[in-house]
Amino acid sequence: MRLTPHGRAKALQHGAVAADLRASIASCTLCGACEPACPEEIPLVDMILALRRSQPLPCESAEVTTQAAAAAENVLLPGEALRQDSERLKRIASLLDIAVAADDGSDISRAIECGAALASSRVSIFISSFKSAKRLVVADGLLLRKLREWLPETRVVSLGEALSTLDAVRARLRATDLYVIEPRAFHADHARLVRHYDGLIKARNLKTNLDLQRFAVPTCASSAAKSVDPLDQARWILEGRAFERVVVEDAADCAVFARVTDRQVLHLGDL
Amino acid sequence: MPPSPSTSAHSTSSLPPCPVAPDALVGIKRQQTNTSRWRGAGWREFVLSLKDVEVIEDAPTRGTFATDAGGTAYGMPHGVVIARSAAQISALLKAAQAHRVPVTVRGGGLTTQGESIAFGGVLLDMTGMSRVISVDKDRLTARTEAGIFWASLAEHLRRQGMDYLSAPLNLTSSVGGTLGVGGIDVNSARFGCSADQAVALQVVTPTGEIVECSDEVNPELFRRVILGYGQFGVITEATLRIRRYTPIRMRYYYYSSLRTAIEDLQMLDRVEAADYAGILTMMDAAINLLVAFDSGEREAAFDAKWHSRLRGMGETAFAARTFLSYLIRPWRWGEALFLRARKRQLFPEFSRLEHMRDGRMEDRSVVFSRAVWKFWGGRQMVIPDLATSSAKFAETVERGNAVCKQFFPRYTLYCVGIRLREEHRPHYEMSCIPPDAADWAYGCEFEPMIGDDTWSRDHLQSFQNAIYDIGVEMGASYYRFGGMMKGYIRRVFGDELVDRHLAMKCAADPAMILNRDVIF
Repeated sequence: MRLTPHGRAKALQHGAVAADLRASIASCTLCGACEPACPEEIPLVDMILALRRSQPLPCESAEVTTQAAAAAENVLLPGEALRQDSERLKRIASLLDIAVAADDGSDISRAIECGAALASSRVSIFISSFKSAKRLVVADGLLLRKLREWLPETRVVSLGEALSTLDAVRARLRATDLYVIEPRAFHADHARLVRHYDGLIKARNLKTNLDLQRFAVPTCASSAAKSVDPLDQARWILEGRAFERVVVEDAADCAVFARVTDRQVLHLGDL
Repeated sequence: MPPSPSTSAHSTSSLPPCPVAPDALVGIKRQQTNTSRWRGAGWREFVLSLKDVEVIEDAPTRGTFATDAGGTAYGMPHGVVIARSAAQISALLKAAQAHRVPVTVRGGGLTTQGESIAFGGVLLDMTGMSRVISVDKDRLTARTEAGIFWASLAEHLRRQGMDYLSAPLNLTSSVGGTLGVGGIDVNSARFGCSADQAVALQVVTPTGEIVECSDEVNPELFRRVILGYGQFGVITEATLRIRRYTPIRMRYYYYSSLRTAIEDLQMLDRVEAADYAGILTMMDAAINLLVAFDSGEREAAFDAKWHSRLRGMGETAFAARTFLSYLIRPWRWGEALFLRARKRQLFPEFSRLEHMRDGRMEDRSVVFSRAVWKFWGGRQMVIPDLATSSAKFAETVERGNAVCKQFFPRYTLYCVGIRLREEHRPHYEMSCIPPDAADWAYGCEFEPMIGDDTWSRDHLQSFQNAIYDIGVEMGASYYRFGGMMKGYIRRVFGDELVDRHLAMKCAADPAMILNRDVIF
C-alpha cells in the first residue's frame, strides 16, 4: 500500500476500510507536512487520527498529574521529554517567565496519537484547568493543534516559537548553527510560522531542517509510529550541511542528534 | 411521423455542429475516451510464474492508480508491482512477454491522457526506485534511479550546492517519465528539454535485458528510449547533466498582444539575453513575459542592451491601460474583475518571502510548481499543447487562443522556447519536437481553468481535438499525443514514419506488452 495521503485517499475511494490500511495508518508519523502541501486543503492529520481510532496503535499510558493548575495567565505545557529534565525545564520556565502546568496533558496527546479511547471527562478537566490562561506555551505539537480547537479564545503557541521570539535566545544563535524546528507545531500553523522562521533564518543566517518547500524534515523522535528510524532522519537532516552546533526545539531530538554527530547538541532553552 | 432528413437539416442549419455527435470531430473518427481493457487471459499463470516479484492484487492498492493527473481517464490494473531493482523489472518483463500480459509504467502519474493508467495487466510503480546514486561535482553529472521525483533530486543536489538543468514545473513528476516524453522549463530555451539532459541510461528492454545506453554505447536504444513514450524500455537509472545552484532574479513584462509578446520572447531567445524566459497569460487579456537571470552581471547586460527593445510594459502602466480599456467596455467588467482578483491571488505566490533572499528567488521549481497546482490544478485537467518551429509559432498560438475562447471563459497559455541540439536530432524523431524546427522549437500549452466547474468529457475532448486539428494543419507536433489522443499520431507524423517505428516496436517488444495503447 502506498503510504502517501494521496495513496490512502485513493484506496479509500476504491473500497478500502481502515483495516486494509492498517500498515499505512500505523506508519504515519503525524508530522503534518502533508496539510500545507495539499492543494485541496484537506485536513489530513484529522483524517489519519480518525482512521487511527479504528486501528489504534499500542499505547503506553503517560504518567501525568491531574491536579488543578494554579490560575496563571501564562502557562507552559512541557510535554513528556522536557518534563523528564527538570533542570532544563526550570531554566526554560525562567527564560519565559511562565508557570509550568503540573498536568500537561501528555496522556491525552498520547491517546490521540495512538487512537486510544479518551474519556471526555478527562479532556474536560484538562481544559478547564486553563480557563484563566491567556497564553499557553506547548512543547507537544500534536497537543498544540488540539488545544487550538478546544480553547479558541486562548493564544496557544509552540515552545519553539515562544523561545525563538525572545531576544536573549535569538542573540545566542550563530550562523554556524543547524536549527531543528519541531515539525508538528510548525506545520499546524505553517502559513504564519514559515514567516516567523524565515525572519529568524535571515536575521541569524541559520541553517535549518526545512526542505526546499519549507517543510520541516522530522526526526520522528516524539512519534508513536515506529516506521521511521529517527537516526536515519537525523542523518538526512545533517547530510551535506556544514555546522558547528545542532540546536533543537524538541527535547526528544537532543538524544537523537547526539548519536549521529560529534558536534554539540543543544536545546533552544539551553542557549 | 418523424421529419424527413431534408426537413431536419433545414431546420437546424443555423445551429453549429453538435460537438458530441459521433461524426462531429472533423476529419477523424470519434475519439474513445478510455482505452479498451485487457481481459486478463493467462493472468493467474503469469502471477504464479513470478516467484521473486510481489504482485499486489487487492482492490484498494489497484485503485490507487485508477486515474492520472488529467482525471478524465479511468482504468484498473489486475495487479501492481512496486519497482525495486532493474533485475526485478527484468524478471517481470520476461514473464510478461511469455504470458502476453501488458505492463504500464508509472512515475508520478502526471499524464493527462491516461498514458500512465493500466487498463488491465500490471501497473509498474517506479516510485519504489528513487535513490540518488552519486553526484559528480567535477563532471557536473548525477546518477539517479529513475523513479525519483525532480523535487527530491533537487533536495539532494542542493545539499551539495548543485541543481538540475531543467525540469517540468511540477514537484511530483519523475525523472524517468520526463525523459520519456520531453519536459519543459522556463530555461528550456537555453538548456533544451529535460530529456536532453540525459547523458546515459540504464534501461530494461521490453524483453527483459538490462542495458546501459548513451550516445556512444547502444546509441540506437538510447535514441528510441529518450522521448520514446516508454515504448522501447523502462528507464531504471539515469545519468543527468547538472550545474551549480544559483538563485534567480525575476522580471515581468506585460503585453496585450500575444504576437508581440511571442516576438519579444523569440528575440530574447535568439540573442540569449536572459537565462529564463517564458510567457504566461490570463486569457489573452493579460500576457506576462517572464524573464530571469542567474547573476547580476547577466541582468546588467540585459538592462544595457535588451530591456529597451522589449515592447512590454511595467505593471503600473499595464494596469492603467487595462483599466481604461475595460472602462469603456462595461460588458467586459466581469472579466476585468476576474483579472484583478486573479492577479491579487497569484502574484504574491511568485514573491513569497520565504523563497526570496536579497531580491532573488531561491527555489524557482518550488515556487512555480506550487503556483501551478494552486491556481491551475484541479480534479480534471486537459492541457492540449502544440509545438512548432519558430516561424509558425505566433500564428499557431493565435489560432489556439481563438479555440480556447470558443470553449472556455477562463484559460491560460504557457509558452516557452526549447533549444534543440543538432546532435540529438535522431532522438527527436516522432516526438514532441516538430520535424521542421531548427535551433529552437516553441511549445504552447492551452489550459482551461476548470477549477471545480463541471464540463462533460465530450466537451473537454472536443476542445482538445480542436487544438490538435490546428496542429495537423500547421505541421506541428505535440507533447501529449499519447493515450486518448493517439488517434492523431498518424495524422501528424504520417504512415511511413509511424509504420517504421511500429516495426521497431514489434521487433523490440514482440508481445507488445510495454505501455500498450500509449502510442501503438
